[in-house]
Amino acid sequence: MKNTHKAIKLWNKGHWKDYLFSQGMLLVASLLLVFFISIGLGVGNILQRFLSSDLPEEQVRITPLGVQAGTFQTERGGTELTSAILDSLSALPEVDRIDPQVYAHVPAYLRGLLAGRNYYTDISLEGVTTAFVPDSMLQHIDWNYTLSDSAEKPLPIILSENLLIVYNAGFAESNGLMGLTPEGVIGLEVQVNVGSSSLASLQERPVTVRAEIVGTSRNVALFALAVPIEFVEEINAKYLPDDQHTYSALIVTAHKAEDVPVIVRYAEELGLSAETRRGIAQKAEILVGVVTAALGALAAAILFSAVASAIHTLVADLKNRSYALGVLVALGTKRERLVYIFAFQIFFMSLISTILGGLLGCGLSFLVSSTLLNLLPVLKMAVTTLAVYPIGWLSAGLGLVLIASTVSAWFFFKKILGTPVTELLRR
Amino acid sequence: MNNYLIHAQSICKSFQQLKVLDNADFTLSKGEFVAITGKSGVGKSTLLGILGGLDPEFQGKLLVNEIDITRTSSAELSKIRREFLGFIFQDFHLLPNLNAFDNVLLPAIFSGTDTQKVRDEASVILSKLNLRNDNTATKLLSRGERQRVATARALVNNPRVLLADEPTASLDEDSEENLFDLLDSLREERGFAIIAVLHSKNILSRADRVIELKRGVLNEKHS
Repeated sequence: MKNTHKAIKLWNKGHWKDYLFSQGMLLVASLLLVFFISIGLGVGNILQRFLSSDLPEEQVRITPLGVQAGTFQTERGGTELTSAILDSLSALPEVDRIDPQVYAHVPAYLRGLLAGRNYYTDISLEGVTTAFVPDSMLQHIDWNYTLSDSAEKPLPIILSENLLIVYNAGFAESNGLMGLTPEGVIGLEVQVNVGSSSLASLQERPVTVRAEIVGTSRNVALFALAVPIEFVEEINAKYLPDDQHTYSALIVTAHKAEDVPVIVRYAEELGLSAETRRGIAQKAEILVGVVTAALGALAAAILFSAVASAIHTLVADLKNRSYALGVLVALGTKRERLVYIFAFQIFFMSLISTILGGLLGCGLSFLVSSTLLNLLPVLKMAVTTLAVYPIGWLSAGLGLVLIASTVSAWFFFKKILGTPVTELLRR
Repeated sequence: MNNYLIHAQSICKSFQQLKVLDNADFTLSKGEFVAITGKSGVGKSTLLGILGGLDPEFQGKLLVNEIDITRTSSAELSKIRREFLGFIFQDFHLLPNLNAFDNVLLPAIFSGTDTQKVRDEASVILSKLNLRNDNTATKLLSRGERQRVATARALVNNPRVLLADEPTASLDEDSEENLFDLLDSLREERGFAIIAVLHSKNILSRADRVIELKRGVLNEKHS
């Protein structure tokens, strides 16, 4: 409409500071909204990634309550997984198969040559059966191994996928080495030393065996290798002959996924811990939910303050200038024309602020994501970015900010215009 | 058809218990200069607000340019104020951050009628009123200068009726004489009528009619 630009320019003359402040707050509100949505969802993704499990739906992983993961694994504490417990579980009609796992109670390390450079890491050994990883992966692999086989064939080992990612993010990158994929490591030969590590050694002489990586799994502890169960039982007996024979974990496969709760209940009644895919997912969901809720609450509080501040400044500016509106009406400016001019100004400027804030929020979250991933290589093993941009949610959030601010200003503006001119002119 | 520019009949206006206008009748003919006097707080500005269509809260009948403004739409009333009436308010009601030229052009700009003709007219009137057409914000002008800016704004749309609420209140004797010399010459040239709330005896003598507002009643003093 004619003269709208000039009218807006005159209206704001001497008031740009207040107006720009309110628009600045709106920009900040939009920026924070996009930043928190983007980073919040990214954090959710990373938690999901870390907490997810490959455990099939019909399987239950039963462990003693005191089991710890890591280099110094121990199953001591609480009810132990004995042969008697294994038998009683096998007797359940819902149980189809039980695959036990045994952790080696002896120190061990892994050593190899990669791209011409030596590498070394302390590890723990998890003795598993072929049921540990999908059968398809192991169908062509001979999963039987004892120390007497060491001269003829390498020890088959399954590597933790997370260990691979730690290697890629924390070691390979900083040393200019190539990264490793799960497929890429299969077939690599390494040496496994049993009986000593950088932290501990036993009186019995250590044994070094050739080993070959035959697969990777996310269900192996971070610094652990899954090896044939007979091998672990053998070295436990060799190095710790007095140790009571117990299992570290039992992978119980039910006939159907619906049977899983019965097995879980039975295991828990025995004082054992039972993990299922669903349980892990629920735990992950709860944790992700708590983190998301905390981030959401923080974002909502900041967003509310910023939007409230923007609205307050917009409204206060209009309130301070109700007198000027009265002058315009008194001089014969149509109310409809004023509504058009100021609606255009409020909406248009707020739209620009919101879009600009949204774009800056995207940029900031991208920057924070890149910085965090560079500073914390361990995050790189899970995700390629911490910033997620769901266009629908972001648009909805920004739309809400825009509507909240413009509608509030609009209502107040209409209220001013509904006031008798003589009252507005009274200052 | 009575050819009155403004014709008010039986106008009543009260503020709670206080009756400000009590069956007031008023007429204004083309080119006429009517002065309204009365003690402070008697309701002169209220009467001017009603006659200028600023205050719709009253009883009685009011024809402005033969249009009954008690029955007209808000848009029509805005048009009457914009095209038929010109206001010089007691407190000027200028926008303090704008310069004189922008204040004068303000109604035209906000109404979408800011043409070169209006801009030329604004320059001429500002020049006639000895006002500088520069970027000085009106908040930095003297009271007398602001008074003249308000006068220029009221005249720029070439109104048929000029409503002035104590237009000489902030001027010395010479300045008020100069202002009314100018208004008289413009009135002669353009033929607009004036309703002015006045106290100065020198200026009252120039009026065609002087009406005193006392206890809500309008009394004509001389013609």
